[in-house]
Amino acid sequence: MAYESQKVAIKYFVISAIFFGLQVIVGLLLVSKYIWPDPLIGILPFNTARAIHTNLLVVWMIFGFMGGTYYIVPEESGTELFSEKLANLQFWLLLLGGLVGVVGFLFGWTAGRPLLELPVELKWAIVIVALIFILNVFLTMIRTKKWTAIQGMLLGGIVMLAVMWLFGIPFFKNLTLDYYYWWWVIHLWVEGAWELIAASLMAFVMLKITNVDRQVIEKWLYVEVALVLITGIIGTGHHYYWIGTPNYWLWWGGIFSALEPLPILFMVFDTLNHVRHRKIEVTNRLALYWAVGCAIFHFIGAGVWGFAHTLPVVNRWTHGTQVTASHGHMAFFGAYAMMILTVIYYALPKLKGLAQFNQKRGFWVFWITTVSMAIMGLAFGVAGVIQSYMWRGLGMDFLAVQGFMRPWFMIVLLGGIGLFIGVIIYIVDVLSLATKRS
Amino acid sequence: MGKKAARNFFIWGTVICTALFIWLTIDTHTTIPKRTHTDQLTDEVVLGKRVWHKHNCNDCHTILGIGGYYSPDVTKAYSTRGETWLKTFLKNPESPDPQRRKMPNLNLSEDEIKKLIVYFKWVDAIDTNQWPPKPVGEANPREGALKGKPQTLLGKNVYNQYRCDLCHKIGGEGGPVGPDLTHIGSNKESPWLAKQIRDPKSHNPNTQMPPFPQISEGEIQALVDYLVTLK
Repeated sequence: MAYESQKVAIKYFVISAIFFGLQVIVGLLLVSKYIWPDPLIGILPFNTARAIHTNLLVVWMIFGFMGGTYYIVPEESGTELFSEKLANLQFWLLLLGGLVGVVGFLFGWTAGRPLLELPVELKWAIVIVALIFILNVFLTMIRTKKWTAIQGMLLGGIVMLAVMWLFGIPFFKNLTLDYYYWWWVIHLWVEGAWELIAASLMAFVMLKITNVDRQVIEKWLYVEVALVLITGIIGTGHHYYWIGTPNYWLWWGGIFSALEPLPILFMVFDTLNHVRHRKIEVTNRLALYWAVGCAIFHFIGAGVWGFAHTLPVVNRWTHGTQVTASHGHMAFFGAYAMMILTVIYYALPKLKGLAQFNQKRGFWVFWITTVSMAIMGLAFGVAGVIQSYMWRGLGMDFLAVQGFMRPWFMIVLLGGIGLFIGVIIYIVDVLSLATKRS
Repeated sequence: MGKKAARNFFIWGTVICTALFIWLTIDTHTTIPKRTHTDQLTDEVVLGKRVWHKHNCNDCHTILGIGGYYSPDVTKAYSTRGETWLKTFLKNPESPDPQRRKMPNLNLSEDEIKKLIVYFKWVDAIDTNQWPPKPVGEANPREGALKGKPQTLLGKNVYNQYRCDLCHKIGGEGGPVGPDLTHIGSNKESPWLAKQIRDPKSHNPNTQMPPFPQISEGEIQALVDYLVTLK
């Protein structure tokens, strides 16, 4: 750590970890509802629990991104943060907003749109938080003597994130247009803005732990993000096959989204290449494991699993089934959860001024969570294939087919319990690192 | 490739693809009125959409295949279930079967139900490029995993799946809309029952009983075999 103000990141990391834990607990309840006839239906029916599960995911990831950004920006810009006070204020506002949102769901305060359930008032409140964040980051960056690609890309990512969010705010009368712009938030976040943020945070961590030449790292950062956006923007079309939009999207969406695994594959080679050509011995082996694991899991979860059902001939049958749940879980975990954990396991010891720290617990977290998520993803996938075949292929009754999927949901639950154990160890690890006296 | 070339590739690639995407978006907008027949998108339909949002239906059910995967897709609910069935179901969706996945009773008002159904009707007619697809095969309930179960059990399953209990009573359980079926086996023969299910209007053109276009011949047979045992 080079600058005192980087320390604001600590509290972001802690909340990120705790919300991750809460998300997994609600996930366990959700999968139980698939196995037994709806436990807790009176208090937390499936829809409310799902809203909480997915919104907690977004919130803990945003906390992770923001913490990571506040850690990296001073160091990249060679200056203290523009305002630590604003960074703290923004932290409390976001935390308050997140909590009000979750409690509101329990009382039925919702906009009723999947993943964008937050009521419109809270959505505007989030815009204010985002503006404070962007302003703080931007005003820090302009103090820099030399703009770096990592800075530019990071700023671009957070601005895009905020701009796309605006498309999720209005009420649409027409369901087709509703979902058309709904995807501008959902898809252009995860296959656009978030990728920009993730790629720049990851480039920074790779730069620091391998000490590979900045010119090389930044060059490949440009290429990688270029490929992400070239395939990802028009790749939004793979969500426009069946929602009332013209059938030329079957071509545009099919072709561009079929190319979407390319940048991720490229990233895997890129990461491995940097590691091979490292100029210093990597002392934080744990961060290295997370970084390489992230690249590989990102490729499997987002690239392979995404490709598997992105072509219209396949998607016609798998659309709206658990195949999507399988892909969603694996992709989010590989692309973003592991990326945030990489950043936290790199930055947190630095923030505490620890040259060495006990990495054993972190390695347990690594193996337990990745294996558990792989089990979950595969079980969701099998359930999804059964569902596509029996419900769509054979035209059987929706609920009758759920009976055939039940054993696989039991395996999802098993994987979920594993994940829960891993995340508990992770929270303990983060808390003990964060509270350590340096 | 140098860093500068990489940067140009990034800038131009992004600009061109964004422009292309915006152009496609504009063109898509011109097709929306026809594909989603916006002339029929009345205020009542919009109010129905608000009911849909208010109860957060979309986090259990998918619509156009998007949403929660916990409960049946409602894109074609209007044409596959019909107005009468939907009205009865939405009034009280709770099933007497304790093993069945539950939908809570949302205590919707008559007015909300009416608007919701109008909304489903509008959604049903959206041109979705032939999605959901027509099944390629037909599940034969006598085969596979269900093998060995007595025919009457299969029939009971079909009875539950199509939620016949919403309108009909058996042994005191069920709704009051249709005739009590507790002793239907003593009154009606198999062919009569099969005909009634296949085409409810065949015996009484004024019946409220909806047709079930998705029901297969195998399912009808199993259901009838079950019903005739009720004496």
